[in-house]
Amino acid sequence: MTSWEAGTTAQTGPASLIPHPRQAPDPLRGAAVSADPWWMDTMDAVIRTCQAHGRADLAERLARRRARLLHPQLRVLVTGPPQQGRSRLINALVNASVCGVLPDTEAGVPTVVRHADTPVAHLIRRDTPDADWTAAVGLQSRIPLVAERLGASLAEAAATLPAGAPAHVDIGVPRSLLAGGLVLIDAPALSVAAAAPDLADRAGADLVVWTCETGRQLADDELAVLSALSQSFPGLLVVLTKADYAADWRRDLAESRLRLNRAGIPAAVAAVSSSLRLHAVRTGDDALNRESGFADLLVHLRKMVEAKPDRLARATAGALTRIVLQELAVPLRAELDNQGDGGSSDAAAHLQATHRRLDDLRKCTVRWQNRLSDEVGDLMSDIEHDLRERVKALLAEADEFFTENDPAKSWDEFEPWLRDSLQEMATTSMTWLAERTEWMARRTADMFPPEAGDVLPPTALAVTDGGVLQGVSALDAPPVATFTPGQKLFIGLRGSYGGVVMFGLATSLAGMSLINPISIGGGALFGGKSVRDESKTLLKRRQTEARNAVRQHVDDIFTKLNKDARDSVRRAQRALRDHFTAVTEDLQEETMESLRNAKAAADRDAAVREAHGRRLREELTRLAELHTQAQALTDRARA
Amino acid sequence: MIGEDLEGRTHDLLQRAAQAYRGHPRLRLALERFAGPLRLAVAGAARTGKSTLVNALVGEDVAPVEQAGFVTYRDGTELRAWSHPEHGRPYEVPVARTAHGLRLDSAAPRAVVQWPSRVLRKTELIDTGSSAPAGQVLTEADAVLWLTPRIGEPDLDFLRAGRGLRGPSVSPVHAMVVLTKADMHGDGLPDGLLEARRIARRRRKEPAIGALCQDVVAVSPLIGHAARTLRDDEVRALSAIAALPRTESDPFLLSTDRFTAAGALPVVDARARLELLQRFGLGGIRLALALLRTGSATTSALGERLQDYSGLKDLQATVAELFVARRPALKARSALIVLDHLLRTERLPPSGHLLAELELLLAGAHDFAEMRLLSALRSGRVTVPADKAKEAVRLLGGAGTSLGERLGLPTEATVDDIWAVAEDCAERWRREAGSGERTPAQRRAAAVVLRSCEAMLAGDESMQ
Repeated sequence: MTSWEAGTTAQTGPASLIPHPRQAPDPLRGAAVSADPWWMDTMDAVIRTCQAHGRADLAERLARRRARLLHPQLRVLVTGPPQQGRSRLINALVNASVCGVLPDTEAGVPTVVRHADTPVAHLIRRDTPDADWTAAVGLQSRIPLVAERLGASLAEAAATLPAGAPAHVDIGVPRSLLAGGLVLIDAPALSVAAAAPDLADRAGADLVVWTCETGRQLADDELAVLSALSQSFPGLLVVLTKADYAADWRRDLAESRLRLNRAGIPAAVAAVSSSLRLHAVRTGDDALNRESGFADLLVHLRKMVEAKPDRLARATAGALTRIVLQELAVPLRAELDNQGDGGSSDAAAHLQATHRRLDDLRKCTVRWQNRLSDEVGDLMSDIEHDLRERVKALLAEADEFFTENDPAKSWDEFEPWLRDSLQEMATTSMTWLAERTEWMARRTADMFPPEAGDVLPPTALAVTDGGVLQGVSALDAPPVATFTPGQKLFIGLRGSYGGVVMFGLATSLAGMSLINPISIGGGALFGGKSVRDESKTLLKRRQTEARNAVRQHVDDIFTKLNKDARDSVRRAQRALRDHFTAVTEDLQEETMESLRNAKAAADRDAAVREAHGRRLREELTRLAELHTQAQALTDRARA
Repeated sequence: MIGEDLEGRTHDLLQRAAQAYRGHPRLRLALERFAGPLRLAVAGAARTGKSTLVNALVGEDVAPVEQAGFVTYRDGTELRAWSHPEHGRPYEVPVARTAHGLRLDSAAPRAVVQWPSRVLRKTELIDTGSSAPAGQVLTEADAVLWLTPRIGEPDLDFLRAGRGLRGPSVSPVHAMVVLTKADMHGDGLPDGLLEARRIARRRRKEPAIGALCQDVVAVSPLIGHAARTLRDDEVRALSAIAALPRTESDPFLLSTDRFTAAGALPVVDARARLELLQRFGLGGIRLALALLRTGSATTSALGERLQDYSGLKDLQATVAELFVARRPALKARSALIVLDHLLRTERLPPSGHLLAELELLLAGAHDFAEMRLLSALRSGRVTVPADKAKEAVRLLGGAGTSLGERLGLPTEATVDDIWAVAEDCAERWRREAGSGERTPAQRRAAAVVLRSCEAMLAGDESMQ
C-alpha cells in the first residue's frame, strides 16, 4: 500500500514534505551551522521588543519556545478527537503497548514516550494544570510504575491521585527510532478541539500530529483548530488512521488535502494503518509494513528530528515571531488609526469653543446696541403719549368744573386740586419711567450670552423723581371782571329807561302821563332784566378766562414734564450704553485671553500627538522589519 | 388515561382548536398528520449512514442515489415520487430503480417517495439529510433516530433541542440514539460489534444521556443492509472464500487494498470482490466468513445471523417496542406540541380555555411516564428485582399495550377475570410503592406501575 502521499505544505501548491532527492547539496546540512544564530537573533530581538512593549506574557512564551527549540529532543504531540486511533498510532510506531493501556480511556492519562536503555515508567504529577510538562518535578511527584504490567500498576497509581489532578505517564522504551531524540506524546482525547493549541504549548511540543479516522471528513471546528495550530507549529501533520478498513481511503485522503488547502492550512496529510503495522511487526512482514504507511511516516519523523535544529527551528521561530509581532502591532495600529481619524483632543475642542464664544460676543455687541436704541425710541414715544393722555384727561376735568362753577367764587377750591392732580401726574409718569428704564436695561442685558453672567447695572438708574414741579409757579386766579353795585345801578337805570318810555308812550294814549305807575313798573322790569343779562355775560367771560388760564398753565407743565422725561431717558440711555460697553469690553478681553491660552494649549497638544504618532509609526516600522526577518526565516526554512 | 384514550381526547381537543382558529393551516396539518402513520426521522451528521440505515430498515434500496435533502418514504401501491419545492405545490417527478438505489429527478430540497413496503405501512421513514436543522427535524417527525458514530457534545445539543422545559415536549420519549459504524470498533474484527454494543449499553446508563433519549443502540447499517438484501451470488462468493484454508485467505483480509488487489483470492474475481467490499465493508466480510465457517451455510441463515450481529434486529425490536407500539402517544405528543405552541403564540379569546384543557389532558396522560420508566428499566438506570422487573415491563405495556397483553391474560378472558387480576396487581404494586425496603427510585418506579394498574381498573370500570 503506498499510503503515504506527501501533502502540501503551502497553499500555493503541492510540495513534498520529504525533500526531493535531486536537490544537491542537501540544503538541510549545508545551512545547518551557519543559519543557527540568525533565528536566535531574531527571536531575541522580538523577545526584547515584547518586554519593551510591556508584554511579559508573550516574552515568556517566546523564551520558553526558544529554550525548547535549542533542546535536541523533538517532541511530537499526537492529538485529535476521541476514538481516532491516537494511542494505537503511537503503539504501532514504537511497537509496544504503551498508550491507551487503561480501559475506557475517555479521560485517560496522557503518555510521553521517550528513549531509555531499559523499559522504565513513571507517573508524573504536575503541580498545576498549567504547568509545563517538561519542567522538572520532585521525587514525591514521580510515582514509579512497573513497566512489565503497565496497565495494572498505572491503574493502581492513578487511583492514589486525587480526582482531576494533572498528571502524565512518562515511559522510556529502548527503540532505535526514539534514540535520535524523538519523543512521542499521546495527548488525552480532546472533547473540545479548540483546546489543542494550548495543550500543545504546555506539553512542550515541537511538532503536532492530528489524527482523524478515514471515512470521516475533517469537521469545521477541527479545521479551525488546525489553522490555529499550523500557525504556531509548522510542520503540522494530519494522519488519517485506520486506512486498512476504509474502502476508499484514497478519496478521503484527497478530500482532506483539498479541504486543508481550501482553508489555507499548510499541513501534510498521510494515511496509515496501525493494525497493519502491528501485524507486520508481529509477523516480520516487510511488504505489509510498507503498505501500512508507517515506513514513510517513520522516514518523515526521522527527517524532522534531523531538521529540528535547523529547518524546523527556523520555521518555528519565524512563525512564532510573526504571530507575536502581529499581536504587538494590533494595539499600536489601533492607536494610530484612532489618532488619524480625527480623534480631536480636548485642547482643540477647547480652542474651537473659545473661537465660538468670541464670535458670539461680537454678534451680541451689535445686538444689544440695536436693542437699546429701539427700546429708547419706544420709551420716548410711550412716555410722551402717556403724558399727553393724562393732560388731556386733566383738562377735560377742569373744563367741566368751570362750566358749572364760577371761577371767582370757587377758585380757591379749584387751585389746590389742580396742583395736586398735576403733582400726582408727574409722580406717576416718573415712576413709570423709572420702571420702564429698568426693564429696558434688563431687556438689553438679555442680549448677552448666558455665560457672561449678571451684566445688569449695579444700581438703579437715576431718574428724576416727582419733584419736577418745584420750579413751576402756582397758578394765580385769572383777572376777574367784577360786577360792582354802581355798575349794577347804572346798567339797571339804562335798562329801565327803555321800559319807562315804552310803557309811558303806551299809557299816554290812554290819557295818562308819561310817568305813571305802569311805566315805572315796566321800567323796573326792564332794568332788572338788563342787570341779570349783564351778570350772566360776565360769568361766561370769567369762566372762559379761567379755562384759558388753566390750559396755558397745564401746557407749560406738560412741556416741562415732557422735557424732563426725555432728558432722563437720554441720561438713562447714556448710562446704560456706557455700562454695557464696559461689560462687553471686559468680556472680550477675557475671551481673547482664554483664546490665546487655548491656542497655545492646542499647539502644544498637536505637537505631542505628532510626536507620539511618529513614535508609533517608527515602532511599527521596526516591527515590520522584524516581521520581514521572520518571514525570511520561514522562507529559508521552506527552501 | 392510556393509549386510545389519550389519542381520542387529543383528537377532540385538536378539532375544537381547529374550529376556534378557523382551520389554521398548522392545525390542519397537525390533524392530517395525526390520522396518518407514525413519522420516524433518521437524522444525523453527514456520512453517518442515514441512507444506508433507511435501506436496511426497509430492506430494499429505496434511498435515492443522490441525496435530495429531506426525503420521506411512505407506503403505496406503486413506486412514485413527488418533489416539494420551497414555494408552490408539490408535483410528481419521474423515478426509476437502478442497481444502487432510486434515480430521482428532483431538484427541490424535499421529496416524497412512495414505495410499496410492509415496513412503511404503519411507519413513514424520513431521511433528513445532513444539513437539516434540529428544529426542522423535530417538527417534521413524531420520533427520531439520531445517528452518530460516538456520542459527543453536538449530539447532546440535538437531543436537548428536542426536550422542552414544560408542556408536551418535556418527556424525551421521541428520541433514540443509534451508534453507527459499530463494525469499526475493535479494529474491524467481528468482536468489534460486541464491543460497540457494550459501549451502547454503558452510554445509555449514563444519566446525562438517559435523561435526553429513550435508548442507545449500536448498529452497523452497512452490514445490516447487506444482510437484509443478501443475494445468493454473494453467499456463493463468500462461501468460496470461506472454503479456503485460513492461512490462504487471511492475508488478503488484512486491508481493503489487499482484498481488492488484482491476483488476490483467485476463487472470486476482482469485480465481485470490489462489490462485496462495497456492500459489506471489510468488517462485514470478516464477520460473514466467520459465520460461514461456523455453519450458517444457507442464504437465509447467514442473513439472519448477520442481521443479528449487525445490531439491526436489536434496533428493529427497540423501534417496535419504544416507538411503533406507542404510536398513539407519540402522535398525540407531536400534535400537542404544535397546539401548545400555537395557543401560546397566537392568542384568541378561546386560547386560555383551550390551554387549560391541554394542561389538564397532559396532567392525566400517563403514557409518557410509562415510556420513560420502560426506557429506564431497559437501560438499567432503575433496577428492580428481576421477577418484578418483568411484570413491571408487562404492566407498563412493554410487551404490548392492549389490556390483555399488559395483564398477561388470554384474549378470551372475561371482564371479571381482568378486574380480579388488575386489582391484584394494583395491590401488590401499592405495597411495593410504600415499602421501606426499596430505594426512593424504586418506589417512584413502583408508583408509576401502580398508576398504570389503576388506569386499567378505571378503564375496566367504564367498560362495565
